[in-house]
Amino acid sequence: MTLLELEDVTASYGPVQVLDGVSLSVPENGAFGILGANGAGKTTTLRAISGAVRTGGRIVFDGKDISGMRPDQVAALGIAHVPEGRGSFGDLTVRENLRVGAYLRKDRKGIDEDIDYCLDLFPNLQDRIKSNASALSGGEQQMLAVARAIMSKPRMLLLDEASLGLAPSTAKNVYDAIRRLRLESGIAMVVVEQNANLAFTVVDDATVLETGRSVLTGTSAELKGMDEIRRAYLGG
Amino acid sequence: MASSSKTSVPTTSAPASSATSSPASSFRQSPWVRWGAPLLLLVGLAVLPLVMTESANDTLARIGVFAVAVLGLNVVMGYTGQVSLGQIFFLGLGAYVTAYGVSQEWNIVLVFVLTCAIPAVAGLLVALAAARLGGLAIAMVTIALPIVGVPLAKRLSDFTGGSQGMSARFVAAPEGSGLYDDQWQLYLVLVIGGIVFLLTYFLVRGKYGRAFAIVKGNENVASSMGISPYRYKVLAFTIASLIGGVSGFLYMVVVQYTSPETMSFGHSIELLVAMVIGGAGSIVGSILGGVFYVVVPDITNAIDPSLTALLQGALLLAVLFVLPGGLVSLPRAVMRGLRRSSAGRGSAAPPTTPSSTPGSGTAAEQTETERHGHA
Amino acid sequence: MNRHFGSRHAIGIAAVSALALTLTACGGGGDSGRSGDAAEGAPSPGITDESVTLGITTPLSGATAGPGTCTVAGVTAYFGMKNAEGGIEFGDGKTRTVEIEALDDTYDPQQAAANYDSLKGDVFAMTAGLGTPTNRAWRDAAIADGVPQALIMTGDPIFSDTDESPMQLGFVPIYQNEGEAFGELLAGSTAEHKVAILSQNDDFGEGYVEGFKSAIEGSDNIEIVQELTYEATDTTVDAQITELASSGADVIFNAMSVTPLTIAALQKAQQLNWTPNWFLPSNTSSPGAILEPGGAAAFPGVYSVSFAKAPASPAFAQDEDVVEYLAALKEYGNYPDPPAFPHCQWSWMVGATLEQAFAEMEEPTRESFMEALRGIEGFEAPLMLPDTSVTTTEDGQPAVSTVVVQKYNGKGYDTVESFE
Repeated sequence: MTLLELEDVTASYGPVQVLDGVSLSVPENGAFGILGANGAGKTTTLRAISGAVRTGGRIVFDGKDISGMRPDQVAALGIAHVPEGRGSFGDLTVRENLRVGAYLRKDRKGIDEDIDYCLDLFPNLQDRIKSNASALSGGEQQMLAVARAIMSKPRMLLLDEASLGLAPSTAKNVYDAIRRLRLESGIAMVVVEQNANLAFTVVDDATVLETGRSVLTGTSAELKGMDEIRRAYLGG
Repeated sequence: MASSSKTSVPTTSAPASSATSSPASSFRQSPWVRWGAPLLLLVGLAVLPLVMTESANDTLARIGVFAVAVLGLNVVMGYTGQVSLGQIFFLGLGAYVTAYGVSQEWNIVLVFVLTCAIPAVAGLLVALAAARLGGLAIAMVTIALPIVGVPLAKRLSDFTGGSQGMSARFVAAPEGSGLYDDQWQLYLVLVIGGIVFLLTYFLVRGKYGRAFAIVKGNENVASSMGISPYRYKVLAFTIASLIGGVSGFLYMVVVQYTSPETMSFGHSIELLVAMVIGGAGSIVGSILGGVFYVVVPDITNAIDPSLTALLQGALLLAVLFVLPGGLVSLPRAVMRGLRRSSAGRGSAAPPTTPSSTPGSGTAAEQTETERHGHA
Repeated sequence: MNRHFGSRHAIGIAAVSALALTLTACGGGGDSGRSGDAAEGAPSPGITDESVTLGITTPLSGATAGPGTCTVAGVTAYFGMKNAEGGIEFGDGKTRTVEIEALDDTYDPQQAAANYDSLKGDVFAMTAGLGTPTNRAWRDAAIADGVPQALIMTGDPIFSDTDESPMQLGFVPIYQNEGEAFGELLAGSTAEHKVAILSQNDDFGEGYVEGFKSAIEGSDNIEIVQELTYEATDTTVDAQITELASSGADVIFNAMSVTPLTIAALQKAQQLNWTPNWFLPSNTSSPGAILEPGGAAAFPGVYSVSFAKAPASPAFAQDEDVVEYLAALKEYGNYPDPPAFPHCQWSWMVGATLEQAFAEMEEPTRESFMEALRGIEGFEAPLMLPDTSVTTTEDGQPAVSTVVVQKYNGKGYDTVESFE
């Protein structure tokens, strides 16, 4: 059962074509990776899904054409975007940030339960629950951003470069938690990542973008074995 | 007016919220203080107009007028982060609606309702167009309001009295109340202004206030959580306009005269200055802004009437340098100074955010420095 | 978030309470500040046996600071000079010095009203302040409080209407007076004239046109061939000038208050080779600032009106009034430069007119002052041009309602008796 389907999606910033016909498909409970170098169009693909850029082609979520919708409308359908750069609210505490994530929800009890779940998922946040977000480390802020997205009880998470700027051990912690989240919650995911090795710990399938096109698509296992991937992203 | 600090934050330091554990907060949390202080304030405000001189009453009433105007500006600018340079237009519009309604001898309750509704609708229409534009475009559109408003008020002389303006003396103290007019006017300002402040306080603390803060902090994040930045900007602007209209009504209660000069562009800038000086994104800051707007010209007049502009400019710079967060941050600045001097310079100082607006600025900016560190 | 609000709330309560206490402390006790209940015949506030205090609220900063500063300087200089001579003799036989308390209102009606409120308990009368909205803002309050608002600088007729404004009297001519003076001159001409009218679409322009039309009513030699208006906010009147030029008028009555537009209008007419006689209001007829840049010498005649001697004019360099005035302005008026605005001269005349009223005032009360103020007839104040005078007995007219028409001579103005 397909949850998200992109068909020949194009996008441009002014005269510059950044997506030149991207197609992909994510099943219910599935996790899909988008790999590629800087400027290949990975982030733009996520922004296209979340409604932040105008696109050509078709984007279908849960049987509904969502291309042309506003970001807040897309979000209301249950697609939570964890943007690159995290964007947490520095003057709010960790707990307040989590509550912000649950802004559209009304089930007080469920919110409290989900906060507990997030803190269990990211024990680091538990220790900093009363700190202002601006006082968190980069890794903690990334965890907070993911946790905030979880708080909206999404059907699908869009994760953008969750490892960016983090020490390798921290990045691994973050991805461990994301894998556990996937296993326990069944939330579908689209994961954009430069570090293919990390991505493969979470996703089932992936595509490699180059200058706005899919050049290679396959399962994690297939891709891991390929020379191109090894050379380009695994430092092999 | 997003004003998050760009200082890189120590990643291992103590939590920033160490203030919660200070003795001051436990003092505040005692029920006597929590209920006693507002009650004391209420009684004080109820008695005050009776014991003060006419001139003090008048000053306090004018402070109330402009505190409400600044409060409206704070809703759209301090809390939602949208630059508005047109707030005085809505004060002027409210004043004109009041003056016209009174001149037509309409029921005063109806006049008040119209004074809220007409500026709110005007604000809504402007916002529907302007909020689409985003960024500085909103500021440019709002600049146009007083610039268009003044000649419009001169031209529509059938409604506005042209450049000679309109008087409306409609707030004499009721017969038998035993009150002087200035006392009655101050009571009106305190009650109406108090209700507006209370409602706004609940608004910005509640669900809408959180949405405003999220939009101010990061529009993309707001969208990604299902909050339409457009819708909330329009909402904030409309509420600000409505509050501006109420301040116009109060203006007529106190000043009892309006003319095109009332909404001249310069006053819009002065309101903005008052908001920043008082404290952006703060309820109490709005009151302090009103105090600044009204009291400073009186003080500079008392010092030397031929140097008012110079003295006001100097005062403005002085406050901004010493207290970038506005007058409302004075107690915290003092506390911080005391803590620092008592604790020495041992522990890392909490990150100093010039404004303590909820959600002003995002932590993303801080991680920028870190990211470069790893690159 | 809650924590922030909690602390701020407490701070706010403290701040407001502190403010309130301060205000109460400053205010003193009881209802001492409230006016209006004084016993009959008892001295009014602001006057003792030795001195009387006058209040002024006027723009001392902002766009109108230039003329505003003059409104304070002239009257301060006048009474400074008189005080140095020992003071002024009042109608009740006492000799008093006159003190001035002036406050800046930045041309903001709200601030003007606040200034009035803070002055009214200490001053005997308010005077000389500049501006229509800034004087209107507290007109009603002054009536209610019984505080004189005497000899103020606005052409708004409401201040000269005794029924509407019992405690007020305007000093300078109302707009109608100026238009009327030119209309009379024109009506007295032996030739036939076709007049084009261009006026500002507000009470300023309407006042001028109304006065002009009332003066030419019934004159067979004057025909108004075309009448156009413009908005005070317009950036050009080229279209109007072009249309008026084709009307064949030999006189243009131009009721305009905007300096750059006036210059542009003069230039546009020359471009079109249209050279009528011009009439310009007193505030847009400055030789240096408007007529020279506008190339006004190209027209057969440019007319305006005045009632004060221009101290800068060579004709008055040796004039006794002017010499005394300039010296006092420098010594007592805190105004060392030659005055750039006629308001300095007007304010000086206000001082002289007030002295007249003080001399007739039999009781040290505001009522007695207003009575004396309204009893002045044909007083030729210092600096006044011949054929102009202060007359306060005519209802509906300001203290100075007579102006003389003057004609531009390439440098300054000469008074003219007839239209040639």
